[in-house]
Amino acid sequence: MGYDMGKYILKRFGYMVVVLMILSFLMFFVYSLIPFDRAVAEAEPFRKGLKTTENATELYLAKIEELRKELGTDQNVVVRYLGWIGLAPINGKYNGILQGNLGYSYEYDRSAKEVLADPLKNTVFINIFATILGLGITIPLGIFCAVHRGSKRDTAVQVGTIVGYSIPGFIIAIVFIWLFAIVLGWFPVSGMKTPGSNYTGFAELKDRLYYMALPLIVMTFSSLGGMTRYVRASMSEALSLDCIRTARAKGLVEKTVIYSHAFRNALIPIITLVIGWFIGIFSGSIVIENIFGLNGVGRIYILSLNSKDFEVVLLLQMFYVILGLLGNLIVDIAYGLADPRVRVNK
Amino acid sequence: MKRKKLLAVLLASAMALSMAACGNDAPADSSTLSDQSSGESTPAESSSDETPAESSSETTGDVTYENKVIMGNTTDLTGDFRYPGWGTSSVGASDQDVGRLTIGYSTQEVTEDGNMVWNDTAVKSHTETENEDGTATFTVELNEGLTFSDGSPLTAKNYLARILAFSTPVAMEAGHPAMVGNAFVGFEEFKAYTGEEAEGASKEFKGVRLLSDYSFSVTVSSDYYPYYFAYTYAGISPAPMGLFLGEGVDIMDDGNGAYLTENFYEKNGDSYVKAAEIEANRYDLTKYPYSGAYVVSDWDASTKQATMTINPEFKGNYEGQTPSIETIVYVKLIQETQLEELTTGGTDILGGVTGGKDTTAALAVVDGENFSETHYQRAGYGKIQFDCDFGPTMFQEVRQAIAYLLNRTEFCQTFTGGYGVVVDGPYSPDLAPWKAIQDEVELIDYSFSPESAKKVLEDGGWIYNSKGEPFVEGAEGVDAVRYKKLTADEANALDGANKTYASVSNTDGVTYATVEVNGEYYMPLAINWFGSTPNDVTDLISTTLANSSDLAATGMVIRSTTGDFNKLLGEIYREPSYGYNGVPTYGMYNLATGFSALINLDTSYQWSHDPAWFTNSSNKLYDSYDIDFPYDIKADKLSYEEAVEASGDKLGMDYLSMGMVYTATTEEEFNQWYMGYVERWNELMPDIPLYSNYYYDVYNSKIENFHTSPFRGPAAALLYANVKGF
Repeated sequence: MGYDMGKYILKRFGYMVVVLMILSFLMFFVYSLIPFDRAVAEAEPFRKGLKTTENATELYLAKIEELRKELGTDQNVVVRYLGWIGLAPINGKYNGILQGNLGYSYEYDRSAKEVLADPLKNTVFINIFATILGLGITIPLGIFCAVHRGSKRDTAVQVGTIVGYSIPGFIIAIVFIWLFAIVLGWFPVSGMKTPGSNYTGFAELKDRLYYMALPLIVMTFSSLGGMTRYVRASMSEALSLDCIRTARAKGLVEKTVIYSHAFRNALIPIITLVIGWFIGIFSGSIVIENIFGLNGVGRIYILSLNSKDFEVVLLLQMFYVILGLLGNLIVDIAYGLADPRVRVNK
Repeated sequence: MKRKKLLAVLLASAMALSMAACGNDAPADSSTLSDQSSGESTPAESSSDETPAESSSETTGDVTYENKVIMGNTTDLTGDFRYPGWGTSSVGASDQDVGRLTIGYSTQEVTEDGNMVWNDTAVKSHTETENEDGTATFTVELNEGLTFSDGSPLTAKNYLARILAFSTPVAMEAGHPAMVGNAFVGFEEFKAYTGEEAEGASKEFKGVRLLSDYSFSVTVSSDYYPYYFAYTYAGISPAPMGLFLGEGVDIMDDGNGAYLTENFYEKNGDSYVKAAEIEANRYDLTKYPYSGAYVVSDWDASTKQATMTINPEFKGNYEGQTPSIETIVYVKLIQETQLEELTTGGTDILGGVTGGKDTTAALAVVDGENFSETHYQRAGYGKIQFDCDFGPTMFQEVRQAIAYLLNRTEFCQTFTGGYGVVVDGPYSPDLAPWKAIQDEVELIDYSFSPESAKKVLEDGGWIYNSKGEPFVEGAEGVDAVRYKKLTADEANALDGANKTYASVSNTDGVTYATVEVNGEYYMPLAINWFGSTPNDVTDLISTTLANSSDLAATGMVIRSTTGDFNKLLGEIYREPSYGYNGVPTYGMYNLATGFSALINLDTSYQWSHDPAWFTNSSNKLYDSYDIDFPYDIKADKLSYEEAVEASGDKLGMDYLSMGMVYTATTEEEFNQWYMGYVERWNELMPDIPLYSNYYYDVYNSKIENFHTSPFRGPAAALLYANVKGF
């Protein structure tokens, strides 16, 4: 079993590398189609300095050519791609991802890694809380509704979740800002810490949580509807299985029936979502981060797209692809752990 | 039983929340203010183990204020404060603001009305000497006793460090364009020096001299002199030596020009050792001291917040002004909620509010007691811009007709909500040169008039239909528009682009194209317009001009294409890498222009008929006056009156724009040339100015003496402001 599992994982890793290569080329190819030349943008300050110099046009065009050579944009897309990966030299040097160069942000004028480090930390920080809160509420609520299916409380939750599910996150954010930040004044409108504060230790954490509270509430509220209904549906299905009837007939305690037998049967579809949520910890919410001014990867992603900072965008997308592939693998393995009938090594 | 307990707890919580919510029943604006005035604090503010704030507090009447101001901007702070932009063309407004507050003692500074003046606090004396070889030397003697924030003295070397460093291949390796000293004599040779003697290279920068500990000179090359704004080349900011040169490098001068000691050019393999150090210094905010009114005392890259505190060593700006506000916190704001940030205390200043809807909303909170406002006319304007070298818009009468067909008064009123005015030339109402000439200048009145549009078109030869017969109003299909018979030169303009000219984005199925009738070319009055989206101005032009019945009745159509702003720039600059497909297509665009200082009025070489300069000119205007009156502006040295007489009162745009800056030596002369330029511009209409809007800065009334201008934004204005009671 252990050997088979190892072999299976290795095989999946092999597939992942192939998928990664294909996707990375497709992404690189798509971005190369966008009409934008970094060399021209980089030559702009040089052009401004040439105003009254004789043969300025020639100097300017020569500078652009020099920059194209330096950046490798004078090469065809395949060579550029290989250069980006680090399998071909650009301007005489191998300096791609394989050599540790994850790209450069021309907008921020520093490496893409540096640009993404802080936003990623912030995104993970807020998403961990949102995920734990979300799962902590939705799973018990879903189970409760399934067990009390058809009751008034179940109906109330169903109505509430369908309303929450139907309202887009940005509407919820706007309404919550208006209510909790402006009318009630409980939370700040946006930002990440008290302006000018220099807190340390617990006070810093408290301040950070105070600023994160409203976005967190919005994120949690937005996610309640879908997950609750999903858990309820899975549990309802599991509770109608013959084995559950048998368990009850055997005289098992209702708690044991629900949590030990029914919930385990309901886990498989839930696992897919739960793991998806945890992987989503690393991907920022474009809407929430922009509305609340949070310096997260979702915001950086949209800023980089708008400013044609494609190396940052590519790095982020590659990161998401890897996360997605890893997530799928983890889901498959987790299926086996949750349900011995599912043998991933077969 | 347990369930009942849980329910009870939940109910109690809900009640507590409701009470808290209902207890605060004051309006949103005043609730925050009452919080501030009563000294109540938010949970975050009441934290116990807070690092003590450095700001002091003062009680004014019933209100206690901290000597601190929070200001924000919707642009991200990046931490690039030491030398914002690092020589690149796109510099974040927020980084620039922090730079303005922390970089001081420049030899020249921008005044409230946009002029560059000598900074008497830093400069003891200065001279300008014209040399026989056509160059000019600016010598500057500094005041002694100026210090950086750490108390270290400021000397001439601190002023030369950046010029020298950023004119070397070392700086280029550090990611800088290295063009800082390009106006000075000997730049090419100095830039070519790599640390080793070579032909055409010099370790000494001939045009930059270190004369003593407190004096230096720069010699402007004859390419850049005479020039009305030449003195601004001697506008130099000081910096700690190590910031731009790295540790251990010195500046020397043996009489032939300033130079850097050899260790600056030290190499490790192919790389300059100092390049990495200089690059690292760019974002290091603690290693070196500051010269400005404030020092960056805290920068949180994670939350994008910068805190600045007073630099006690700072002796003042060009007016001797020193700061009063002890702490300035710069935060990131969100466009959609920035007004709420102001009313809830998230920021004390909301700068640059413009547009009817936003201005009305911002002014609604201004009551004088809690919030105040200051405003100014924007130094610039929104406009329609034309390509003037092909298609219908190459003809002056077409550009004028479009101006007549657009009700700009109504347009301005709609877009700015009444917070703006219409301008008729390259100026904004608050611009000093405009103020000087506004009573004398004679401009064509382009008030809305379809009749005038029709007349100028008929006078310009737009009188045919597609068969070369007289145009008939009300005709349909391709004959719904006027045509003009082109001369051979006109047909061949821009490599014959007019012969194949055709309308695009023909949503009604009708394509208007140049037709050949009996060997003659007739061009249709169909204008291809490219507008960026999303953009309210694009939408407004579409409804008030492109789709107006007056336009159709005049015999003109405007075909609308919309897209990304970069695509728009690509079409203007005909830059393939920005999506230009090699075929000139669009003749009309909408965008905006601005002047950050008066020197931006220098538009020399923007209108040249020399094709080589078209890459730098956005309008590509071909002024026949310039072609008819050959000149060499530097050699001829004609005064304005002499030039007018010699040209038969027909001075072209190129001549006027260059005369403004290469012939004028006094403000009076400059204004004279400028008036000629504005009048010719108004006649040729390379752009149609649409609106010059007001900018409103709304701020917490605890701030006093806060006055902004087109050239003095909120950050710079804080130097003159104070918090009540301080």
